[in-house]
Amino acid sequence: METIINDVVDPRDIKKFELIYLDQQRHGPVSEKTQFEYAWCLVRSRYLDDMKKGVALLEDLFHKSRPDDSSRRDYLFYLAIGYTKTKEYETALKYVKALLKIEPENHQAKELKKLINDKLNKEGFLGMAIVGGATIAVVGGLVGLGIALAKKSS
Amino acid sequence: MSDHSVLTTLKILIIGESGVGKSSLLLRFTDDTFDPEQTATIGVDFKVKTLTVDGNGAKLAIWDTAGQERFRTLTPSYYRGAQGVILVYDVTSRQSFSKLDAWLNELETFSTKHEVIKMLVGNKIDMDKREVSKEDGLRFARKHQMLFIEASAKTKEGVQCAFEELVEKIIQTPGLWETEKQGGMTLMGSRGTSQGYCGGYCVI
Ligand SMILES: Nc1nc2c(ncn2[C@@H]2O[C@H](COP(=O)(O)OP(=O)(O)OP(=O)(O)O)[C@@H](O)[C@H]2O)c(=O)[nH]1
Ligand SMILES: [Mg+2]
Repeated sequence: METIINDVVDPRDIKKFELIYLDQQRHGPVSEKTQFEYAWCLVRSRYLDDMKKGVALLEDLFHKSRPDDSSRRDYLFYLAIGYTKTKEYETALKYVKALLKIEPENHQAKELKKLINDKLNKEGFLGMAIVGGATIAVVGGLVGLGIALAKKSS
Repeated sequence: MSDHSVLTTLKILIIGESGVGKSSLLLRFTDDTFDPEQTATIGVDFKVKTLTVDGNGAKLAIWDTAGQERFRTLTPSYYRGAQGVILVYDVTSRQSFSKLDAWLNELETFSTKHEVIKMLVGNKIDMDKREVSKEDGLRFARKHQMLFIEASAKTKEGVQCAFEELVEKIIQTPGLWETEKQGGMTLMGSRGTSQGYCGGYCVI
């Protein structure tokens, strides 16, 4: 799943599907298919702005879709991927859980959920330590304790 | 695998109509499990597995593409750089067999390696209502210079062989992988001369 997250689209593909998207936009409403294809390219871009644009297009598709629309699973999956890439893990988790509600046994969704939780545990904890002075104090306290214990045993 | 036999990474691609069992074959190969309720793949999935063939270790990076129509325009970008392709049909679905030509055309158009090794897999042979005979599969494979095997992701039959045969053939085609050395890793061990593991199925 890490590979899928890190998978980067060929910039030529973004260009290609962007042209189709813009062309349709000029001549009327963009088809669901075109918007999805463009969004799928964008979330796999290496640039943050593209990822955000892709996620916005997917959210738009999702909100416009009927509850029984079979493409909803695809939107939810790539929304979760997109938000994992932008490191908004809480939102990513929300979307992958929504997908698991539709397909509880989906292997891709299960793997993605695990990966997001792993990232939350790792990066989330570090983030907390940096943001909250209190947390730093706690970490400091633990380190102090560790040193104290090390001294004792030596 | 002993550490002196680590080798280059080979990119393998799995394509074919939705529902023929691509993900199930992969899951059987990598995790030795089968899910009767396997859901349709979203976009692409990816798995890694190391394999030893003729004493040569190979790390397989396997891309499992979605067969559903809505992903068709985007999955071909994953064809680039693949050394091996597994094209799957369902022996209980004539329709999945008639679509093989279209899949091969797409492969011709988008794959970047001329010598890409192709393996045709007729899946679901555990089922009763067969619509495609083994002879039909063999004939198609021969016509298009592909390796061929019939398999069942459910009962395991043929699954390991399909991947091993493919990798063996890639390794015997040095032009395919020698330029793919990564991080200075080289192929170790003896070049195999065996005639394949699956006795009689191999057609090229
Ligand atoms: N009886 C039997 N069923 C199988 C076999 N292989 C797959 N299936 C079933 O066929 C259905 C489709 O299998 P998948 O592996 O999802 O097919 P796929 O080719 O990956 O489909 P897409 O991801 O949509 O392209 C699932 O319900 C599987 O359990 C098999 O060898 N025998
Ligand atoms: Mg699949």
